[in-house]
Amino acid sequence: MNDNIWILMSADAIAIATTLILAGLGALFTERAGVLNLGIEGILLASAVSSFLAADASGSIWLGLVFGALIGAILASVHAVLSVVFRANQIVAGLALVIFGTGLANFLGKPAEGKTINTVIEPLSFGSLSDIPVIGPIVFGQDIITYSAILLAIVSSRYLFSTRPGLELRATGDDPATVDAQGLSVARIRIRYTMFGGALVGLGGAWLMLAQSAGWHQAATTNGLGWIALALVVFAGWRPMRIIFGAVLFGFTLQLPFTLQAEQITFIPSAFLEMLPYLATLIALIALSRPGSRNLLGAPRSLGSPFVRDER
Amino acid sequence: MSNTSHEVAQGPHHTSGAAPTALSAHSIDKKFPGVLANDSVDFDVRAGEVHTLLGENGAGKSTLAAVLCGLYQPDAGYLIRNGKRINLSSPRAGLQHGIAMVHQHFRLVDRFTVSENVILGSRDLPYRLIRREIDEKVAAVAESYGLPIDPEAIVGTLSVGQRQRVEIVKALYQGAEILLLDEPTAVLVPSEVEKLFENVHAMTAAGKSIVFISHKLGEVVEISDRITVLRNGRVTGHVSGRGTTDTKELARLMVGRDIELNSQRATHAMGHEVLQIRDLSLDVDDVAVLTDISFNVRAGEMVGIAGVAGNGQRELADTIAGLISPTSGSITISGAMTTDRGPIAAREVGLAYVPEDRLGVGLVPSMSIIDNLLLTRNRQTVVDRFSVRPEATRLIEQFEIKANGPDHLARKLSGGNAQKVLLARELSGGRTATRLLVVCSPTRGLDVGAIETVRRILNDARSAGQAILLISEDLDEVLSLSDRVLVLYRGAVVHEALGEAAELSQVGAAMAGLSSQSH
Amino acid sequence: MMHIPFRVVFEQRGETPRRLSLIVPLVSVLAALFFGALFLLATGYSVFDTYTNMFKGGFASFNGITDTLALSTVLICTGVSAAFAFQMNLYNIGGEGQLYLGLIGGAWAGIALGDHLPSLIMVPILLICGALAGAAWIFVPALVRSRLGTSEIVSTLLLTYIGASLIKHVIYTPGSFFRNPNTSFPQGRRVADSASLDSFGSSRLYPTFFVAVVVAGALYWVVKRTEFGYRINVISDSPRAAHYAGINSRRTTMMVMSISGALSGLAGAMLIVGPYGKIEPSIITLGYGYAGIVVAALARNNLAVIIISGILFSGLRVGGNNLQVTTDTPIHIGVMLQGAILLFALGGEAFRRYHIHIVRTQTQPNIKMSA
Repeated sequence: MNDNIWILMSADAIAIATTLILAGLGALFTERAGVLNLGIEGILLASAVSSFLAADASGSIWLGLVFGALIGAILASVHAVLSVVFRANQIVAGLALVIFGTGLANFLGKPAEGKTINTVIEPLSFGSLSDIPVIGPIVFGQDIITYSAILLAIVSSRYLFSTRPGLELRATGDDPATVDAQGLSVARIRIRYTMFGGALVGLGGAWLMLAQSAGWHQAATTNGLGWIALALVVFAGWRPMRIIFGAVLFGFTLQLPFTLQAEQITFIPSAFLEMLPYLATLIALIALSRPGSRNLLGAPRSLGSPFVRDER
Repeated sequence: MSNTSHEVAQGPHHTSGAAPTALSAHSIDKKFPGVLANDSVDFDVRAGEVHTLLGENGAGKSTLAAVLCGLYQPDAGYLIRNGKRINLSSPRAGLQHGIAMVHQHFRLVDRFTVSENVILGSRDLPYRLIRREIDEKVAAVAESYGLPIDPEAIVGTLSVGQRQRVEIVKALYQGAEILLLDEPTAVLVPSEVEKLFENVHAMTAAGKSIVFISHKLGEVVEISDRITVLRNGRVTGHVSGRGTTDTKELARLMVGRDIELNSQRATHAMGHEVLQIRDLSLDVDDVAVLTDISFNVRAGEMVGIAGVAGNGQRELADTIAGLISPTSGSITISGAMTTDRGPIAAREVGLAYVPEDRLGVGLVPSMSIIDNLLLTRNRQTVVDRFSVRPEATRLIEQFEIKANGPDHLARKLSGGNAQKVLLARELSGGRTATRLLVVCSPTRGLDVGAIETVRRILNDARSAGQAILLISEDLDEVLSLSDRVLVLYRGAVVHEALGEAAELSQVGAAMAGLSSQSH
Repeated sequence: MMHIPFRVVFEQRGETPRRLSLIVPLVSVLAALFFGALFLLATGYSVFDTYTNMFKGGFASFNGITDTLALSTVLICTGVSAAFAFQMNLYNIGGEGQLYLGLIGGAWAGIALGDHLPSLIMVPILLICGALAGAAWIFVPALVRSRLGTSEIVSTLLLTYIGASLIKHVIYTPGSFFRNPNTSFPQGRRVADSASLDSFGSSRLYPTFFVAVVVAGALYWVVKRTEFGYRINVISDSPRAAHYAGINSRRTTMMVMSISGALSGLAGAMLIVGPYGKIEPSIITLGYGYAGIVVAALARNNLAVIIISGILFSGLRVGGNNLQVTTDTPIHIGVMLQGAILLFALGGEAFRRYHIHIVRTQTQPNIKMSA
């Protein structure tokens, strides 16, 4: 019995990691292009609600997922246009998106509050594999989106480091002037990946809603996952494979409070357990910015600054 | 002179019967806010020749080159390539017509390998990149022009000359027939310049056209088949024939009047030692940047530090100014130890420092002249701008600064005027009277008039008994102004000579690391 | 490839025309309202009812205008908090969390000191304690930012979530110092009477409004006129020039971030001495700290203009909240419009900074000489 709950927790940790992987990859693609989108949290919320409404109206979870991704891409395109075309301050634009997305989510979610959807995304069936002790439920007890997210991270890694567009993407984030001199459109690349990143974040939000939560309850749905995803990208050194690892790690710290509570381990106040993921993120962030580790980080050099071809 | 006419404006076929014209530009106009950078410029280049664009900073050479490669679109005029009108909407379109630019500031991604940089932006690249295949292909292209490079090396770790080679290989890899080299020698040591020239000859022998952009007369005469001189955005003359050119005449076409840049060393008395540096060493991240440097500068003396960029000049200046703490050794200014005491302590005993970057380091761009005067001075808790105003007005007059009064923003000053503001502040003293002036690249990027003024100001300061340490990558400047010349190579002083006795060849060799004792 | 027949050209303006500085924010607000109207139409709510009720609720009544000023008290403080850090290109996104700590700091002083001191001493003590608590909450982000360069954006934000848990903890834990011991359901303990201010007449406006205005004005002066402000300006424009001039960036960063944190903490303490008198857990759902960032951005970080943008913005929120009573439109339209206004203002900023014009990309270039 005692073992069981820890296994369940591991399974849940990987499950929650799905949203982090998707949102983290979304942020990673955006940032690799040199755009800093702090609006992840807002996109997560808005796409979560939209996916819920779409799934509720159509009765199809899959349509809900698609809709979530679509809303994610649309909101990200607002950020892309502001920061790439209008050269606005990307930090403020991202924050505006958080506020806008939160308002939008709560506005749209108002009628949906308290509602639940009957169908949920079911875990895939691997037959008897799921009955293997310990690793069965952890490895073979997930749904298709979770497996897809992990696969996507692997594919992203290949894409980034051994394809032509991946090369161009990395160059855009590091040195847009060089990409421009090659006659490639920095603006087009940046807008494209910011939108793609937004779609991934939206997918993460939709999945969170449709596979994890019973229903819509305002901001409690995401609870700062978007911000954790941003820190995760730093933690992962802008490398897709490390996103998986970091997401699972953060997934554990997010699940730990529930498990400890269920285990009636109460000598730690629950409020402090709630703080744990944020505290862990903060500590990881500080540890990673120690001098010397800076070079390993590999932050895209032009991250957050608009590209202006210098015409005197 | 007869050759100031627009003789090349006629079209693809040239009279001389040489190789056909590969690319020509006709009546190019390019405007920027407030400047007409190109004013009805004509230019052409034939296959297998080196045609040089000669002109001062701001003459419009780089703008014309940018138009030729598709980076800028001209406001008027057109281009002819192999007899056909072409319209270059982007550098990529330029590349499609076989035109590539090697920029003065390399357009390379530091974190990428050489081959990644070379293939970036190529059109015929497969979707999947297999590292080994690409490395081999890049190496093969480089080899075929005698330009050896290591395809796996990370560009950020390469020397400037090597990076330039990567740029050239990249252009060739992309099928360039016409290469525009924008001030390619500005960053090279003499030995690397020679290697570059060999490569240029290899390329012209293979039928490539080279557009060489430069303001250095000597090398232009050496490398060019033809020369077009630009001034203030207009063509002022054409010269053909290698080695037969009158440099004086070229200088006149370039500058617009006869000019003697070699300013006279004033005769003057030298006083006591104002700056004393003993066994100064600096390690950054366990890499030795400065090693065992010792020298003095006396009152009324100008000591010049020559060297190629990146050999420790900036660090030496910053260390003397108290911005960096040395690993070992000592710095004494006017008899007071300033090692490790910070910039304010150094200024309190008479240091003044004109850094290499005027805007952004020496001056705060978004601040007014008044506020910039306050930058290195004592400020009260509530800043008193009122009492500085008369002094600011006086300095603007004294240093002939073109500005709409003391409230003029630093970023709206021209390069020369910004430098004058900086010199005015540093020489007028703040915390105490200036005794030692450290100047880095004081005339870089300035026009000829401003260069003269700045050099005069430095000479006057020396005559007034100030000790001056002049750090510059412009060897001519160092040699013509300094009483004594030190050469910095890899952070060490490798050569020392008196100003008049300094031999260009010896100093040049020392700058390249070929010091006499090693051979 | 698709050929686009025109190109948008951004030309940097040398000088921004004065009228644009006025027109652009105005048009941004109108554009956001127009966008909101489209959105309301699409979702089936009445545009007219929503906007007239928002306007009435926010500005066009005694209660409306006093409520607006009352709310602006807090938003001016959090706005100045954000903008003051912005002065040095520091992004204190965690004003929300520092405000929570301000609640705790203010409430602590108000409860611990008891009803012994006169209001005139008690209220400033509460405000100072709140400010100190806010400053303490930003201490770690400020320290790691100035020493290690750790992004203050993420660190201050993460601390907001931690602060929210802390608020819940001190209210929900049985026997907590901050919890009302007399009720069985979780509720904050009231501060001493002498620590509470009276509002003006029948309104809900407190004298702290003037404190907020004076603080904004004073900091405006500090940045413009003092040596501390001079340092901030040098560092924000060119950190290397600051280094060159021997200005200690680390210390200035610490100070600026601490002051920024203190201002958000002050906002929290103002809620204690003003309307609430205790820690009210629902405050953590109101997002006053986040709103401060919008207020600051709308004022383009001008510390004096924040007084105006704070009041306008408060009107929007008060009006939005009024919808709850008067229409069936969800009050969140208010938050949405905040975000939209900011997004449009950011877009509009480009028109202020650049001369934007559309050029046809000619298939035939201008030719002076025929070919």
